[in-house]
Amino acid sequence: MSMSVEIRQGADGEGAVCPAPAVVSRDAMGRRKANRKTSRDRADGRAKMTGAPVVGRSVALLHVLAALLWLPQAGLLAFSVGRIAGGAPMMAIVPAAAAVLILGLVKAWLEKMAARLSFRAARAALSQRRLEALQAVAKVSPLDLSRTASGEAAGVLAEAAEALVPYLSRFQPARMKATIIPLVFVLAILPFTWIAALVLLLAMPTIPLFMALIGWQAKAASEKQLAETGNMNAFLLDRLRGLETIRTLKAVNLTAERLSVDAQNLKKRTMAVLRIAFLSSAVLELFAALGVAMTAVYIGFHLLGFLDFGAWGHKLTLAEGLFILLLAPAFFEPLRELSAVWHDRAAGEAALDALGKLTAGGATIAGEGADVASVPSPTPGLLEINNLSFAYPSAPPVIENLNLTVQQGERVAILGSSGCGKSTVLSLIAGLAEAGEGSIRIGGVKLDHATADGLRRTIGWVSQRPFFFAGSLKANIRFGRSGVSDGMVEETLRRTGLDELGHARRHLQIGDGGYGVSGGEAVRLAIARAFADPATQLVLADEPTAHLDRETAALVTDNLLQLANGRTLIVATHDPVLAARMDRIVDMTAIHSRGQP
Amino acid sequence: MIARFAILRPVIALFWSARRGMLLAGAVLAVTTVLAGIGLLGVSGWFITATAIAGLLPATAYAFDVFAPSAAIRLLALARTAARYGERMTTHEATLSVLAALREKLFRGFAAPQAAKSLEARPARLLNRLTADIDALDSLYLRVLVPAAVAILAAIATGFGLAFLHPMAGILAASFLIVAGLGISARAALRAEKFSRRRAIGLEALRARTTDLVSGQTELLTTGRLSAQVAAVKRADDYLSACDDSLNRIETNAGFSFGVSAAVLLSAALLGMAWLAEQGAVSAPAAALGLLVCFAALEPFTALRRGAMELGRTLFSARRIAPRLSATVEGRCPVLPVSGMAAKLEDVHLEREGNDNPVLTNINLAIAAGERVAIIGPSGAGKTSLIQLLAGELQPAAGTVSALPSTLMTQRSQLFRDSIADNLRLAKPAATSNELWDALTAAGLAEHVKSLAAGLETRLGEAGQGLSGGQSRRLALARFLLADRPLWLLDEVTEGLDGETARDVLTRLFARAEGNTVVMITHNRREAEFAERIIVLKEGRQFDECQSGAPEYGVVLKTLRPD
Repeated sequence: MSMSVEIRQGADGEGAVCPAPAVVSRDAMGRRKANRKTSRDRADGRAKMTGAPVVGRSVALLHVLAALLWLPQAGLLAFSVGRIAGGAPMMAIVPAAAAVLILGLVKAWLEKMAARLSFRAARAALSQRRLEALQAVAKVSPLDLSRTASGEAAGVLAEAAEALVPYLSRFQPARMKATIIPLVFVLAILPFTWIAALVLLLAMPTIPLFMALIGWQAKAASEKQLAETGNMNAFLLDRLRGLETIRTLKAVNLTAERLSVDAQNLKKRTMAVLRIAFLSSAVLELFAALGVAMTAVYIGFHLLGFLDFGAWGHKLTLAEGLFILLLAPAFFEPLRELSAVWHDRAAGEAALDALGKLTAGGATIAGEGADVASVPSPTPGLLEINNLSFAYPSAPPVIENLNLTVQQGERVAILGSSGCGKSTVLSLIAGLAEAGEGSIRIGGVKLDHATADGLRRTIGWVSQRPFFFAGSLKANIRFGRSGVSDGMVEETLRRTGLDELGHARRHLQIGDGGYGVSGGEAVRLAIARAFADPATQLVLADEPTAHLDRETAALVTDNLLQLANGRTLIVATHDPVLAARMDRIVDMTAIHSRGQP
Repeated sequence: MIARFAILRPVIALFWSARRGMLLAGAVLAVTTVLAGIGLLGVSGWFITATAIAGLLPATAYAFDVFAPSAAIRLLALARTAARYGERMTTHEATLSVLAALREKLFRGFAAPQAAKSLEARPARLLNRLTADIDALDSLYLRVLVPAAVAILAAIATGFGLAFLHPMAGILAASFLIVAGLGISARAALRAEKFSRRRAIGLEALRARTTDLVSGQTELLTTGRLSAQVAAVKRADDYLSACDDSLNRIETNAGFSFGVSAAVLLSAALLGMAWLAEQGAVSAPAAALGLLVCFAALEPFTALRRGAMELGRTLFSARRIAPRLSATVEGRCPVLPVSGMAAKLEDVHLEREGNDNPVLTNINLAIAAGERVAIIGPSGAGKTSLIQLLAGELQPAAGTVSALPSTLMTQRSQLFRDSIADNLRLAKPAATSNELWDALTAAGLAEHVKSLAAGLETRLGEAGQGLSGGQSRRLALARFLLADRPLWLLDEVTEGLDGETARDVLTRLFARAEGNTVVMITHNRREAEFAERIIVLKEGRQFDECQSGAPEYGVVLKTLRPD
């Protein structure tokens, strides 16, 4: 199973110094034993995911049994009417009526049980698949460019996956009912009349045939068209995102009218498609209605003696005739039900595919992402990189034979324009991807799959666009870490000069995506977060002053240096002012041309 | 209990005003379908019983009028099929019509000035919530109102029909059908509402936590919190699972109740018909008719069961959306300043909720017509809020604001999924093709658009996808130039662009700025250089100010980013 990774050009056209793309074979990626194993697992995972019916056959049979209880009920009803016609008093009918009632109660109870069992099985399957996909997503490396975007992953795991439950709980029983019940009913009628049985038997395959002829295709097209109503939502949401512009251009009315006109057009197109799609379901209705009608007309004429064939030489009694009539509509019911849940199937299969894609994953991080105790290290804060190489698949190495040693407490800037791999170096140090060649030792301990989680306890990270969850400022600093107390948070805020911000904003929640804090404040808060944990020995900062004005950039640099305080700091940046304030500058462009720092 | 259903009133009122005729037609056809079905089975039952009795003797057999009933039966079968087809067509068309009305109303509701504030803080979450709620309301007509109408009308018709056999039979049957049908549905719907609400919350939490997991993966990993986040998502799923289970329990219980009602009705009808036949009040064929009519009258129950659950979900969604469906408030434009002035702020104080410190304090600013002003300052100093005051988007807590009509060019290009021409026409709907090309030329995008196969009619993707960052900005600029209002408000308009593109955009912008007043927020030198006056804001106050030509002008410029 190949990994699909795309290479995209950097946003700014700089970085001409960095090497141009060439092809590198996958075998050059060296130690991927761990990943090879998991890639096989992923293939297995995908195979495991799709297909396997989850609702046990016994549960589906329960649905069938409940539906079959109509047979004795119909028999009792028909028989009783026969007796009424024969002049029987009401008291004589009571036992039959009681039996109809009891059968009905049992039927209702069986249906309830069957529905509950189907649902529970389907829901458990959903939970399981969600968990599998989730665990896979959590381990995909941030460096993998084919990594699913957050919005899409969330959409698949949340809403799309919901389609599994109706599919798994309704489709299987419906399919079994549509297969078994018509046959059983035909067999039940057969002893009385072969002609009615024959007609019904012929109707069974003919219906789907006609439906297909008229346009099962049209039905599919109609579903696609109905899905286009999703476009109405898309229009609305698209405009809501740009509300500020629409308001400033005084275009609210215009947009609202546009929305209305678009929707009207969509309606016209949809109705044109539905016209045909509904015809195919009309075929089913026609057969069902005509089935009842023709049966009734035949029996009536037969009872009058005008059509004295079709009942094995006998004449039907009233009870037999009514029995056949009562079974006729129920014969078509399973087919109607199957038709109704058919589109659940399409949605369910699509959901299974989407979840499978997520579970397949991509390149993984080093380690499991588990919360483990930090690894005891002989030389805390020391970083040794030996012969490090990294390349995206089918791309030239971004980093080649990099050697770097950073002493404890040293403050180093890795300088270079975008695309030179400086951020990649940081990512590899943090174990966000597995290196191709070479080794990284943090605090004297080699970074690999087994030690990554423990080593990450001692690493702090500052992103260019830091992540915040919707919550209070202090909670975002603490980030749920048990090793970080409120006191440490306050201390760090004080030392970065952010305590005033914290005080002024103490009632304000930070919103999704960092709403409520400006760019500069966000970076400073991320710095506070990285340093708040006393266990942190090494802090990695990825372009902290990008997109900031002079004054704020200086503040950020101040914060970094103040808090570093004996801990090792590595900053990846293209800002010469920031780099100048570090102890040492490692020039990536120079490395690329010379191979040595 | 009625009060809880009353939340649907604004929604239904909206539907009613949109396509009254079609909505009613759909309901009528739906009822016709059910009645045709009842008629078909009833007449068939009567026919078989009558022919069985008549067929006992050849004399009665020949005397029996076969053709009327058999014709009626076939007619009813065809009528049922046709009515069903008609019902599906009209109800779907009606639904699509009210869909359109619903979205338009919602858009207007959101486009009111402060309504969009909540959208800013949590755009993704709110938009998802909106989609789910609209989807729920979409099915109100088709899955709830129509089945309810059908159930009631079919019950009444059944009662009416049976009343011909015996008034008591009619009344009992009708009452039983209505009470059972509506009672069970209503109870299920009300109980489902609570769990629908919880389910929606759970689903939102699942989505949000997954989004956080993916967007914040690096931070979560490096703080050792990744597995905790996975566990949090799992917890959301467990919560959802419990809600789903409760909802399923409610649904299957409703199904069970309907099943019990059906059983009761059938056996009671059998006994009732038997009793009436014994009394000589009805003949045997009529008894068969009565029994089969009762059997067929149970058809609406299935749709009611689904509708009940749907109603629970709808009630909850309606509660969230209904406020937005009420009348909109048009934005208030600031008062016009005296002639010769472009904008004036006097003693303006501005506060923002959740912030102890006021956003702007004691702002006194007078901008003459034709002036070019740059507003600079550290992040969070209140620059954007100042611009929004001038635009009329915010109202000051104290002081007065007056400004000419303005257009704002936002920091991020807000383009839409539309053709390039339509994106431009937002600024000026009546713009001719020449005017569009003129604007594009002025913005430096004309060459690129000419090179595209569809030219002006090229469709952009969601949020204007299809153009590069620089091109998007140029398109936004062209649109801005097309709007042509006297006061120009610019919010970091070349942010994120490379140096060359940025300078080009600025040159073109200011080439067209003759006679317009420009107020711009900026962080970099190249933009501020175009300003005659630079105002420095710090912590919501006016900190400094300088004119071009003065020595401090150069000093202030140097504090800005070079590129």
